[in-house]
Amino acid sequence: MKIVRNLAFGVLFLTGTVALFARPQSLSTSAQSHSSSKSGAARTADNREGERKFQENCGRCHTEPQAISPRETKAVMQHMRVRASLSAEDAELIRRFLAP
Amino acid sequence: MNSNCSSRGKDAAWKECMMKRLLGILFAVLWMAWNAGAQENVPVLSGAAAFVGTNNQGVPFFQPVLSPVLVAPIGDHWVIESRGLIQGVIFRENGKSGPYQGQFAASLDYLQVDYIANPHLTVTAGRFLTPFDMYNERFTALWIRNLQDPPIIYTIGTRTSASSNGGMLRGVVLSRPNFNLNYAAYFSVSQTTENLQAGRAVGGRVGFFVPHQGVELGVSYQRFLQGTNYNASGMYFSWQPPQVPLDVRAEYAHSPGGQGYWLEGAMHFAGSRGSTSWIGRLQGIARVQQFFAGTFQPQNLLPSVDTNRFDLGLNYYLPHDVRINGSYGRKYSSLGNGNIWNVQITYRFLFPAWPGEHK
Repeated sequence: MKIVRNLAFGVLFLTGTVALFARPQSLSTSAQSHSSSKSGAARTADNREGERKFQENCGRCHTEPQAISPRETKAVMQHMRVRASLSAEDAELIRRFLAP
Repeated sequence: MNSNCSSRGKDAAWKECMMKRLLGILFAVLWMAWNAGAQENVPVLSGAAAFVGTNNQGVPFFQPVLSPVLVAPIGDHWVIESRGLIQGVIFRENGKSGPYQGQFAASLDYLQVDYIANPHLTVTAGRFLTPFDMYNERFTALWIRNLQDPPIIYTIGTRTSASSNGGMLRGVVLSRPNFNLNYAAYFSVSQTTENLQAGRAVGGRVGFFVPHQGVELGVSYQRFLQGTNYNASGMYFSWQPPQVPLDVRAEYAHSPGGQGYWLEGAMHFAGSRGSTSWIGRLQGIARVQQFFAGTFQPQNLLPSVDTNRFDLGLNYYLPHDVRINGSYGRKYSSLGNGNIWNVQITYRFLFPAWPGEHK
């Protein structure tokens, strides 16, 4: 019971932290603010889908690499297909998002 | 070379010859793969370099660390990937006093060949990270983990070296727009060679992921089959609410040596993920953990007494993939309480393994 009580305390602590600091924002707004930092290039629907896939899969563990060239993306995506069990379609969308 | 290779009686010469042949074959395969697949198939060298300063209950030490990752895709289905760790420890001769001295060590985290058959199945052979819970596979990379020190329960399910030598199957059992069910199953043989240690074990992990809510739940199991056989089991949870730049992660693990959990929250001080404002580059971290000691087992690297610990950390993501982080932790146990301070700078690198034309 002690472990359950302490775990419950931890969850409450984190929930309180979220309630204090959270500033809800829609994913589309998030995508817009992020895209504005990306050299001003217009995003296609594929890019937005790629970004969403990145956040859902890769973003669970790490942030987006700040610089990645098209030459590197094949190897990186093969690596991540193994790590994150990505489908070929999702990997291709993320590849286009990272190095359009 | 040929004469040596044909004579197995001369062991040293034969091994040297075979090693040269293997390396030759490896480079030939990589070269052919690169040419066949054109520029996009170029292998990449990635990883991180870090310098860590620690003060653990008054004992200072420093760790320069290099963790290179090599990834070589061969066509659309094959990948060879490897991660090493070269780590130094610079410490005072008498702990808190005396002149500084250093030691260096190197190890291989993984060197594996993957065959991606389809989304449901990837076959891996070689040395790989043991898929128990989520910390070992996902958060041991220097440039990913939020806090320098691993959780107390990290060694449960990952004995002996957190890596396994053998085979693994992994993939997605079922994938729908609203969820997916993923798995990993493996076996490992015993290996005692220095820097390549692995335990004899079988095990697996199953995860259930709900992408739109950013929630993942999973369970793990391992049967350790070396020396005293025993079971280790675990559960993990992660949550990334799409509207808030918050990561919540938790793990629970149990073995005869003890059981415990950790719960971590990490949050960017900005309204969205990926914000490049100065405040958006700042990330606060809090982690609590409790460990309840079980039957003492030598070499399981778990505390021999109940231990509680909390950590508070701050990460700052600088441009060019440089990260600075600092953390404070306090440990409570019947063997003594203590403070642990960490400061770290990490540079994450990624470039093609050989030069070529940028498209």
